[in-house]
Amino acid sequence: MTSNLRVRTTVEYIIYKLKSLNFTIKPASGHLSPAKANYKTTKSVLMDNTEYGIVYAVHIITVQFGSVVSKVCECLLRRGPLSSRDISRLAESEISHNQVKDILYLLIQHNCVQAFSIEPPDGSESKAVVQYLVLFNNILHRVRYNKFSRVVNEELGRECGIVLDGLLSNGRLTLGQLIERDRDSEKIGEIVIRGSLQKLVAAHFVERIPSPEPVLGNKEQEPAKKKGSKAAKILKEPETLEERVLEAAIPVEAIRFPHVFVQDSNSSIADNDSNADNDSNADNDSNITEGKRKERDVDLSDPSNEVIWRPNFEEFIRRLRHKACVEIVKERRDEGCAIVLRAMLEVGRSQEKKVKTDKSVPMSVGSIYEEVITTIPGRTMLQERVEACLDQLSATSSYLPAFVIEVDGSYIVDFKAIISIAQKDEIEAVVMRRYGKEAFRMFRYLTMEGRFVETDRIADAALTEKKDTPQILLKMWQDGYLHMQKFAVTGGTGYTPPFLLWKVNKLIVTRQMLDEMYHASLNLSLRLTHELESEKELLLLSNKKDVVLEGAYEERLIKIKAKRLLLSSTRFRLDDALMLFANF
Amino acid sequence: MSKRKRADPKLSGRDPNEAHEKKLLDMIRSKQGAGATMYELKGDKTIPPTMFTRLVQSLKKKGLIKEIPTMNNKGHKHFLAMEFEPDKELTGGEWYIDGTLDVSKIEDLKAKCVMILERHRHRVVTLDVMCGYFVKEEKLSVDQTKEILKNLVLDNQIMEVKSNGLNEFASTRIGEVCYKLTGKKSGNGEARGGAFASIPCGACPHIGLCTPDGVISPTTCVYFQKWLEF
Repeated sequence: MTSNLRVRTTVEYIIYKLKSLNFTIKPASGHLSPAKANYKTTKSVLMDNTEYGIVYAVHIITVQFGSVVSKVCECLLRRGPLSSRDISRLAESEISHNQVKDILYLLIQHNCVQAFSIEPPDGSESKAVVQYLVLFNNILHRVRYNKFSRVVNEELGRECGIVLDGLLSNGRLTLGQLIERDRDSEKIGEIVIRGSLQKLVAAHFVERIPSPEPVLGNKEQEPAKKKGSKAAKILKEPETLEERVLEAAIPVEAIRFPHVFVQDSNSSIADNDSNADNDSNADNDSNITEGKRKERDVDLSDPSNEVIWRPNFEEFIRRLRHKACVEIVKERRDEGCAIVLRAMLEVGRSQEKKVKTDKSVPMSVGSIYEEVITTIPGRTMLQERVEACLDQLSATSSYLPAFVIEVDGSYIVDFKAIISIAQKDEIEAVVMRRYGKEAFRMFRYLTMEGRFVETDRIADAALTEKKDTPQILLKMWQDGYLHMQKFAVTGGTGYTPPFLLWKVNKLIVTRQMLDEMYHASLNLSLRLTHELESEKELLLLSNKKDVVLEGAYEERLIKIKAKRLLLSSTRFRLDDALMLFANF
Repeated sequence: MSKRKRADPKLSGRDPNEAHEKKLLDMIRSKQGAGATMYELKGDKTIPPTMFTRLVQSLKKKGLIKEIPTMNNKGHKHFLAMEFEPDKELTGGEWYIDGTLDVSKIEDLKAKCVMILERHRHRVVTLDVMCGYFVKEEKLSVDQTKEILKNLVLDNQIMEVKSNGLNEFASTRIGEVCYKLTGKKSGNGEARGGAFASIPCGACPHIGLCTPDGVISPTTCVYFQKWLEF
């Protein structure tokens, strides 16, 4: 609202100025850069899967499961939820219906696809068709398994890490399968596995698999809600189909993370309830409503049924988000502030309902201090020091926003402020490197202003040559980093060039950055494959025990290893930055 | 055939161009600091078009008008009455000399500003102190000083903070605008280097043209080649 008023003020000022010179003004439409002209700022298009996001996800699937699986995956990514028949019809290469079904079961097993159906309208005799929704984020999580494993190893120890690795590499497993798997590899023992799994579930790192095929209520059937009714305000309806499906599929907390679970470790590998292995089940389930699904979930807790477990990516992303926040505060403030923030996140974590929470719950100084002194680095901190750190975290400047908000003696962590400062650093670093120092100043000025500003005013504020300013701004606009508004001027004597107003549109810039980062991740992966392929024979030779490489060969081997290390570590760090935009 | 006798200017007592000159001068004066271009002057149809150049030269000789080059286009001259100073739109503002931005002066002033902050005991300097120094030593106006400080904020070299009267701000009034250096030198953290900006794709001007199997691709990329040279 305020920004709109500011825009109006600038525009009105120009109109006033020109009218005094007998000009007539015709506002032209907003100009998105040619590349971004098809961007809309509606919520539906602001999902994480940009064009290169899809290409990158398909690449990940191709590398891990092969090209046939990736064709099915690409079809779902590009066209949205489809039935298995539609997939076999629409997938680019000829894949039989049975093959499609097998591929879908594989993708469900690896948590990349979720089946669902929509309740047919009342009176309709048609059967609900099972549709398959691809989970874009879960595909991208596949390159983050090392990070997830590290979180568990640090927090719960090596045994839990081994159990989690089993789940990550197999997608979904029962306790029996986990024990069976252990017999062939690590041999940590049945009791340890059982205990580790219990710990993982208690820490929410592992969850019971969601309902194999939830049935969504038909939206058209739902009665129209009264405007402004209390219920409508409290129960906010999920907006995207993916959110609706996931919400319907995930069981209630007590079933999702049971405190006590007795398992029959010798039960068969196949799980009768999994739609991955039993198609008829899907047909039986297709006619139940969401309410009925919840009842069925309760039945699942019956110990005679073998429960299937899977990694809970939501919790991993939450932990990585918290870790990233602590790192950002450590870099931008100091070690003390980072310790206090870590304690605050620990105190408030159980209250967080979703990953992308903007603000934490309010916390008292006492509760924060209690948590601080339980950690090794915080043990030496006095309450005075903790309070000083909280003051430091609440301070604002042109450089940093407040990371913590003080309300009536309580403190709230402002996640959004912390994450957005890291996003800003990433974007500004790219602007600086790609367009230079002048562009960097202009971009920062426009970000600070948050409204449309005329070219000359930008040049004045950034102290850049007025003649060069439009070219620099145009370059950034062409690449989608700026939003431009043109004001055509007619009348007066002679031709008057149109006024150009510029603005940093955070949504467009964020989406642009995200797309380029997906593109860069893909490029790093392709380049690594290319480099390893070019030295394939040498690498094979080096793995042989009886072969010792010398001279030029040794040098080549050192080089390829250095390249591999650089490309892999860069991709790992780039993924951290990518999560700032896509997942945090 | 009788020839018409040319009127003797000495006898008439009044220059025939004087009326046109006066009209032209009034027109230029009415434009004040914005000045008028020859194109705009020629818009007046009461003065014969062939006389404009002569009239303007005459006014210039008499010291009644001056010619100012436009900052955006040096060939595009503006005529101003002698008593007016050219507008900011014409000259570009105080930081422009002969239509060119005085970058070296700006950079010099910015360096001095950073030096003051580095040498200060608490590394915190108020706006008043900064203005006092630059107005006295560098003959800058308060607005110019503010512009320099704002530019350094945009460069991410310094930050603007409001004093809370504690610690390093003990010698300042609460709520007073102060400036501090950013980065480790002043005990602050630093902005992240940027994971994306540190790889070739982050700085690549052709990323929009790059495709896995295209002419520009990660496998044939020269920037990658250079980056991976060990």
